[in-house]
Parts: sequence; C-alpha cells; structure tokens
Amino acid sequence: MVINASSNHRTKKSAPSSWVVWLGLVPFFIFGLSFELLPLLTVIRSSLTSKGLFTLEFYRQAMDPLFLRSFGNSIKLSATTASLGVVFGTLVAYAIITTNNKFLQNALTALSDVTTNFGGAPLAFAFIVILGSTGVITLILKEIGINLYPNFRIYSISGLTIAYLYFQLPLMILLIIPSLHGLKREWREAALNLGASGFQYWVRVALPILFPSLMSGFLLLFANSFGAYATAWTLTGSDVDLITIRIAALIRGEVQLAPELADALSIMSLLIMSACVVGYMWLSNRARRTRA
Amino acid sequence: MNTRALWRHIVIVLFLLFMIVPLIATLIFSVSIRWDRTLWPEGFSLDWWKAVTSHSAFFLTLKNSFIASFATMFCLLVLVTPTTYWMQLRVPKGKFIVELIASFSFGVPGVVLALSLIRFYSKVPLPIVNHPTILVAACMVLSLPFMYRPILNALEAIDFRVLTEAAQSLGANGWITLTRVIVPNIMPGIISGCLLVFSTVFAEYTLTNLLVGTRFKTFPIYLVEFTRQDGRQASALAVISFLVAWVTSLLIIWVTSKGGRETTHVIGR
Repeated sequence: MVINASSNHRTKKSAPSSWVVWLGLVPFFIFGLSFELLPLLTVIRSSLTSKGLFTLEFYRQAMDPLFLRSFGNSIKLSATTASLGVVFGTLVAYAIITTNNKFLQNALTALSDVTTNFGGAPLAFAFIVILGSTGVITLILKEIGINLYPNFRIYSISGLTIAYLYFQLPLMILLIIPSLHGLKREWREAALNLGASGFQYWVRVALPILFPSLMSGFLLLFANSFGAYATAWTLTGSDVDLITIRIAALIRGEVQLAPELADALSIMSLLIMSACVVGYMWLSNRARRTRA
Repeated sequence: MNTRALWRHIVIVLFLLFMIVPLIATLIFSVSIRWDRTLWPEGFSLDWWKAVTSHSAFFLTLKNSFIASFATMFCLLVLVTPTTYWMQLRVPKGKFIVELIASFSFGVPGVVLALSLIRFYSKVPLPIVNHPTILVAACMVLSLPFMYRPILNALEAIDFRVLTEAAQSLGANGWITLTRVIVPNIMPGIISGCLLVFSTVFAEYTLTNLLVGTRFKTFPIYLVEFTRQDGRQASALAVISFLVAWVTSLLIIWVTSKGGRETTHVIGR
C-alpha cells in the first residue's frame, strides 16, 4: 500500500511534466492551425459538399477538357523545365566542381544561390528586354539572318520555358553539387583500371549512384515550376493557359464560376505539387543516407 | 586533358552568359534613350529613372514593401525562435509536427494558399480579409521555412543543453536564458533567416495581388503595372528589384560563411 502510494506519487509528478512541455509549442501550433490547416480544410470541405451533402460533382466538373488542358499545359511546362534543369544543371555543376580555381567555384555557387531566388515580375521583364519582339537578342539574331519572330514568342509557353530555366538551373546546381562531391575518385579509377571507358563509367557506375539525387531534383524542380504564378502572369497575362493562372482568375472574379469548382481545381493542383515535394523529401533523404 | 578543360570552359561561359545577360540588358535598357531598333542603344540618359522616381506611388509602394517585409520578419522571429529552442530542448517528439507546419508552403501553390485564406477568413468573424494583416499572415506561411531552417541549423551547431544548464545554475530563468545566452549564440542563423524572409517577402507578388490587390500596393505590384504601361520606367523598377535581391543574397552568403566557420569549429571539437 505504501509502496503503491509512493509510485503513484512519482508518476503523477512526472506525467504532467511530459505533456506540460508541449504547451511551449502551442503558439506555433495555433499559427499552423489558423493559417494553414483550417483554411485548407475549408477548401477541401467546400470542394466536396453541395447543399450540405457530400458530392464529387465539382471534381467531375473539374475534369472538363477545358481544365484538363490547363493541367496538361502546367504539367508539360513543369516537366520540360525540370528535365532541362536536371540535365543542364548537372552538367554545369559538374563543370563547377571539377575546376581547380577555388575562386571561380565559390563565385559560381554564390551566383546560383542568388539567382535561384529570382523570379516573378522583374525576371519576366528582363526576358522581355532581351527576347521580346524588339529585344536585343532578337535584334542580334535578325542581324545574322535568324528571325525568331513570328515562330517564337517570349509571351508563350516556349518563352516561359526559357524564363523558368533562369531559376530552375541554379536550383538544380545547388541540389546536385553535394551528390557530385559524393562520387569518389577511387570508383572512377577502379572502373577505368578494370577496362571501362569514361562513357561506360558514367553510364554503369556514376549515373546509377546519382539516380536518386537526379530524380529528387527533378521532383523539386517540377513542384517549383508547377506552383509558380507571378512570372507567367507578368510575361503572358492570361494568354497562356496554366492551372495557376486559371485559379487566380477565378479568385479575382474575372471568370464567373461556382466557387466550389475553384476549390476542386485548387485541391487537385495541391495534390500534384505536394506529391512531388513528398517524393523529393523521401528520395533526398535516401540519397543523403547512401552518401553517409 | 585539354579537350576536357575546353569543354568545361564552354559550359561555364554559356552558363554565365545566360545568368548575367538578362540583368545587364535590363540595366542598359533603363538608361538608354531608345534600344528597340538598333543593336546598340541610340544614346543614354537618366530620364526614365528620374520619371519613375518622381511618382509619389514609387515611394509609397517601396514603403509598403518594407512594412510588409519587416512585419513578417519580426512576427516570424518572435514565433520561430522560442518554438525551435523549446522543441530542441524539451519536446524532440514534437519535431515532426513542427517541421510539417514549417514546410507547408513548399507543397502548396501560392494561389491555393491565397484561395484557402480568403475562403476561411470570409466566413470567420475576424475582419482581416483585404487588410494587410492577412498579407503578413500569408507571407509568414510562405517564408516560415526560410526562418526555421537557419535557426534550427544554428541551434544544432551549438551546445544549447550545456549553455542552458550553465545559465540556469547561475540563476537565469527560461526567458533570460533564451534572450541573453541562446540568441547571441545563434545570431548568424537568425540574421540569415531574417534576410531570407526579407528578400522573399520584398519580391512577393502572387499573395499580394490576390489577397489585398490595389488596397495595399507593394513594389512588385507597382512594377507589374508599369510593364503593361511603360517598359522603360518598368526597367528601372526591375533594376531596383534585382539590386535588392542581390544585396540581401550577398549579405546572406557573407553571414553564413562567417557562421559556417564557427560551426565547423564547434563540430571539430
């Protein structure tokens, strides 16, 4: 009885302190609840209910060819800029880490650090200045006999691809440099000693090792481009039919449609983007563990 | 060996051209009299700069952008620093939820974040829709990871447990320990977090446009208006945006490289 009481006493004393410490995180949780979770749940619920009843009607409407085309354009643009970003980013990153010039290495990494945060209106404008119909590169190319216009327009999906690469390329460089450092010199030497060519080393040894990092880079770049809005809006207005542009038009009330439809479209694009980010986190964790 | 060096030079030069030509061209464009018919500008003048800075909206939007950036920075600092410290010290089990909240904006398109805030707060009896308050809240969600990451990294690099015990054995309470002992030791993390938040919010367009529109005009909103009206004046505004982004980024690199050296020192011990 006495023993029981004392053990009771001890659990009582330690039990509160184990949950009391959580109180310190309450302000942060309230923030997450009021500006992230609850707003998001409102949208999810509204996209699934009509007159108080559960319905998938709005998702059925969101499958209209009109909206599927917007999703298709967004996915195509994201896949293109992500693939180009992965290929050229890795190439530039490899060039950066194999230079012996320490200053150049640091300067190029710093340049990537700065430019990957560029985007939006100023970036869009800079590309109008160089590649617009009277842009300087357009003029130079015309001088040497290449007419960009009217086959190419900066205010189109192909123009957007070039502008997006401006922040995709540096992002990939920053993501892949640690993995490229993880390729040990001995592996290359071992492969070459065993009679492999440089090409065989890349295809059979280096690329399989890099694969999780390349894949995770692709997913992050994809999400980065899929959620982008400001650059596309400044560059093309409503000319280019991307899903983010369409949702924004619905929010501003430029297009009159059921608000629940905008909610359903939002949830669908949220699912695509967050699936990419979760995939990125999973793969990059795996890549990091392999390195370590 | 030589062909490999040549290949590397070509890749690096092309990369540099792609990254730098748009910036230089915008700068030259903003000081050119005309540059749309000839290969080289037809003359130089500062007229566009004078014109664009003479509008009263120029300083108003600049001021609004600074207000939004500093408000977001301050609120995040107050919210994130104690939370991260407390989590590391006492509630390691809470890390998963904290990281989920902190990384929310990575997985959510900006337009969806704006839509969800409008939907929720137009139903709730809290009159912040269309008010700068909701913009600051949204910018906090957007830039939360940029404040959380550097502070967490800085905390992980110092012996915060030993520092806390030492402070408390000398009679300091939790608040004094945080502000006088922990904060000065994670200063590089705090400063780079603040700078990252600043540059993110200063360039923010999507949330501002959708949440407050013209009621609280910020610098990027002003810039987009000009790209539709007058390209030359817009180019001067674009140059200012690029300058702000460059200066903050270079400051971040400078701060983290200083902090980085201390970090490796601590780990080396």
